[in-house]
Amino acid sequence: MLPKRVFQFFIIYFLFIGGLMIMKYSLHLSDYVIPAPSDMLHTMVAEYRQYSLATINTMTVAIIGQVLSVIMAFVIGIIGRQSTWLGSFIKVAAYNIQAYPIVALAPILFILLGDGFITRLLIAAMICYFPVLLSVLGIMSKPIDDIEHFYRVTGRMRWQLEVKIRTFENLTQLTTVIAGSATLAMAGTIVGEFIAANAGIGYSIRIALYQSDLGKILIALFLIGITIAVYQALLELLGVAIKRTWTGK
Amino acid sequence: MKTKGKRFIQSAFLLLMTTLLVTNSARANDKVSYRLKWLRNVSVVGALYAETNGLFEKAGLDVQVKPGGPERDAIREIELGHADFGTASADQVLRARTKGSPVVVIAQLFQVNPLQWMYRPEDMKIDSLADLNGKTIGVTFGGNDETIMRTLLAEAGFNDRDVKLFSVRYDYTPFYQRQVQLWPVYRNAQGPIITAQLNKEGETTAFFNPADFGVKFVANSVVTHSRILAEKPELVQRFLDALLAGWEQALDSKNEKEVLAILQKYDPDTPTSIQEQQLKITRELIQPNPSIAIGAIDEKSWEQTQQIMYDQKLLPQKIDLKEILK
Repeated sequence: MLPKRVFQFFIIYFLFIGGLMIMKYSLHLSDYVIPAPSDMLHTMVAEYRQYSLATINTMTVAIIGQVLSVIMAFVIGIIGRQSTWLGSFIKVAAYNIQAYPIVALAPILFILLGDGFITRLLIAAMICYFPVLLSVLGIMSKPIDDIEHFYRVTGRMRWQLEVKIRTFENLTQLTTVIAGSATLAMAGTIVGEFIAANAGIGYSIRIALYQSDLGKILIALFLIGITIAVYQALLELLGVAIKRTWTGK
Repeated sequence: MKTKGKRFIQSAFLLLMTTLLVTNSARANDKVSYRLKWLRNVSVVGALYAETNGLFEKAGLDVQVKPGGPERDAIREIELGHADFGTASADQVLRARTKGSPVVVIAQLFQVNPLQWMYRPEDMKIDSLADLNGKTIGVTFGGNDETIMRTLLAEAGFNDRDVKLFSVRYDYTPFYQRQVQLWPVYRNAQGPIITAQLNKEGETTAFFNPADFGVKFVANSVVTHSRILAEKPELVQRFLDALLAGWEQALDSKNEKEVLAILQKYDPDTPTSIQEQQLKITRELIQPNPSIAIGAIDEKSWEQTQQIMYDQKLLPQKIDLKEILK
């Protein structure tokens, strides 16, 4: 799974770079508009260490943010699955919060909480929790009648058991959503860093933009892409491992 | 038959004249586009004046003036053919040329760089660069202000332990809360707005201008493609004449009322009283000395800008400025 993901990323990235090069050489564009491959290689060698550390920094924030958002989505999803007034209120509140664009909220968060770790974490969590929440709400609100009926008629159904049954029956879907939300967590963290943080790859991209250096931005995109590909593959492997443990297969 | 022939000749003549007129008027209005460096505000008032008062049309040009912004790069647009003219900062031009971009400078808009540092005179006095010692100074890491400030600090013989560089954001809260003592602003655009806000709180402001301490880092210039300049020098001249006439008339105090009305149209969120001050400061930055023509290229300042960027390893090599400055 891991080599496949990385290989797929390489195909996408190099197709993109190939497209840029075709454009560069067919339109006779300078290295300022699109850097030459040798320039990119030179930038890669010069910036590799600094940009790798910045990407790891961003990824760390994104992973913690994603874990938080998954917990948050499960808590809200489990409470919101009920067709009670509280359940409906939580759903509406969750949808409303998501309606505010993060680019508008981020500067306020940075003013209130400063430009450190907590703000980046909060932005990452806010961006990636909603798709997870939607899936959790959908999964948790849909009864698995074949199994649940037995526990209901025998009076042994508890909410913990209900959640467990529905999670187990939809594990593949949940794993896919959680792996997908990793991309959003990373994107959210980068947006936050780009707007106001002092660290991370988003901050490095902002500096590169000030310096009109597309080569640095392309290297940053490479590192972001490969890191996400590896992380997503690991999440999928984790999902498979959990399923194996639960089913014993 | 004779009458028919005469009518035919008359009709043909009329058709020819009409065609010639239409062709001529189409040729007279050459279509070009001009990408500004920033949004439509006081920093681009000359272009706004030329556009509003039909100065481009009078020069036989149909100019599409496009607002700029942080994500816009006039040089890239010129090279890609999306714009014919643009405004770019000197550091952009130098970076682009070292990477082979065929951009050339045809006029320098700001003779004094508007990028300056705001401070509270009741808290400090800056008579020499030594007065910066121990201060917390705001800079945009990766931006021009960082380059300029690092040059000033090197001139003063300071290192990173002597001053604290603070990463600047969109909001001014750290300056308002006195966490940062010197904050970078565009003297003509943001300067009057923040001064007014601080004045409301009973505070005064002053500006630290690097040029007063010998650092003349060139700001915005008008640029075009070297091919356009070589192939259509007459068109470039017409555009430049109209644009600079726009600047000249916009900065003429006789036209102030009209200019303020134009600024209000494009920038209604800024009160007229502030725009009045912005305009006054812009005049001093564009033409600090009446003997210097608007748009004149200050070659010495370009040389210094290039040297600063080279010293800070922002340029891999130096280039012959004669190839850029036209």
